[in-house]
Amino acid sequence: MSAFNELLATHGVSRRDFLKYCSTIGAMLALPSTMIPKIAEAIEQDNRPPVIWLEFQDCAGDSEGLLRASRPGVAELVLDHISLDYHETIMAAAGHQAEASKNATVEKYKGQYICIVEGSIPTGAQGAYCTIGGHSAEDILKKVGGDAAVVIAVGSCSAFGGLPAAYPNPTGAKAVRDLLPNKTVINLPGCPMNVDNLTGTIVHYLTFGSAPAMDRFNRPKFAYGKRIHDNCERRSHFDAGQYVENWGDYGHQQGWCLYKMGCKGPETFHNCPTLRWNEGLSWPVMAGHGCAGCSEPGFWDTMMPMYRRLPNVPGFGVEASALNIGTAIVGASAAIFATHGAVTVARNWKNVASAKADLREEIKEHSDDVE
Amino acid sequence: MASTVDTPASRPEKQYECAARRFLYIWEGPLRIIHWVNFFSIIILSVTGYFIHDPFMSSAQHPYIMGNVRYVHYLFGIIFSVNLLFRIYGFLVGNYFASWRGIPNPFNAKDRKNFWAFIRFYTFTGKETPHLLGHNPVAFCAYTLLFALFILQMLSGFALWAQNDPGSSLYAVTGWIFGLVSNQWVRWFHFLVMFLIGGFVINHIYSVVLFDFKSKSGEVSSIFSGWKPDRRD
Repeated sequence: MSAFNELLATHGVSRRDFLKYCSTIGAMLALPSTMIPKIAEAIEQDNRPPVIWLEFQDCAGDSEGLLRASRPGVAELVLDHISLDYHETIMAAAGHQAEASKNATVEKYKGQYICIVEGSIPTGAQGAYCTIGGHSAEDILKKVGGDAAVVIAVGSCSAFGGLPAAYPNPTGAKAVRDLLPNKTVINLPGCPMNVDNLTGTIVHYLTFGSAPAMDRFNRPKFAYGKRIHDNCERRSHFDAGQYVENWGDYGHQQGWCLYKMGCKGPETFHNCPTLRWNEGLSWPVMAGHGCAGCSEPGFWDTMMPMYRRLPNVPGFGVEASALNIGTAIVGASAAIFATHGAVTVARNWKNVASAKADLREEIKEHSDDVE
Repeated sequence: MASTVDTPASRPEKQYECAARRFLYIWEGPLRIIHWVNFFSIIILSVTGYFIHDPFMSSAQHPYIMGNVRYVHYLFGIIFSVNLLFRIYGFLVGNYFASWRGIPNPFNAKDRKNFWAFIRFYTFTGKETPHLLGHNPVAFCAYTLLFALFILQMLSGFALWAQNDPGSSLYAVTGWIFGLVSNQWVRWFHFLVMFLIGGFVINHIYSVVLFDFKSKSGEVSSIFSGWKPDRRD
């Protein structure tokens, strides 16, 4: 306990700040306040599992997210404190030393360490698209991830394949969950993931020894349980029918709803509106740009075009929207049946003429009778 | 006075020859009600659904317009779905023309003959105007496709709606769809099917009016009254 307090002191974090942080995490995970001491205890304990951070086909955006964890300073400390044994981008060791460190952790803490994966795993060309220390990404993931207590896939690439897996997926990129089907994989998609959700997930794991409740796509419900749209601060403008029609117009200046500018908030599950980014400063919709839908499976293929509501119709060129195709369907139907009608009328002309003649004949006969 | 009104009754000894031997009650009350509930539901769902896709009206005179339009869309979504369930019930227990018993059988030579007679009529390759009391076999195929679309529309609609609460029982029932198809494509499909139904409506109205003219069998009035002529030919 005192050792931990010293660590706090060296980071310039007071005990009070630390407990505040524990309350914040508790609130984020929707836990009762009675759980806060338990959270503090879990973070403080000495037998914390080590973490191995694997990077494959990625842009290191999630590592950036991790490095910028700064709310409230303690988050960084927690991540330091869980002993990050291997992280290629930020570890001091390199080459054989780094690999040795990783292997040592895998051997020593078999079945106990946390494996965090960033980036998708290419399976094409026998894994030649991404190799580290002479091993393919797939082999490394299966070995390191396979022996981990829990695997956390951070960012959309490792969670769902992300950009590398977007059509036509030249490297045969796959998500972590596709390659470790029997493992508990916690997906924290986002481009990048929000580091507060990562610390929340880790703290949950430290406190309860299990993954948090997850949705159909293995995303923790505390972070991905609600749509952006349903918690959006601009939602009232949506319901009121006040929309941005053009960038920089009156509605845009007034902070109206970005629905007509292709905002994917109604399609995307994430806690951006409540948690926000950069120390809770802002998030895309607050900054005046629609949600891109980055935390949904296959977002590069399904959430584009970014500034339209619906995907384009495949096989009809670039600009074929569902509206164009739908209008064409109704138009074709109208044209077909109008033509059919015209042909029918033309063919019927003779029948109508003879029917009229018959009727005239009948009426005439009848009038003659009466007279 | 009598000379100006020309009715068969005025001269029973020399009636016009009526094509109808007698009239039969084909479309029973519940079926006609279901038809018209469908009619109004589809119109309201299409207009409100298009508005949700592209809010084309200004909010100036209508505060909370999107909220109200979505409410109406969901309300009629439920009415439409319950109506669909009634129709399925009718398919099980309705009269011959409304139920599964009236389905044309492709293994039955007479039904096959009827089917081709209607195909020839539609493509102007036959001289006869075929006439049947219930659904014609070609129309039956169209209705089967249409009801498949209705069911998909209902499923996708409820699934999209349930996304507002993934903890709900509605999402528990419909959420599996998003394991198969991304919610954007479900939304896209839900939007596109509206146009397919629109294309069908044109076909439907045209064909009904066409047969009303050509076979003189009261197609149009039958969906109001239920009665159709049992023709001599």
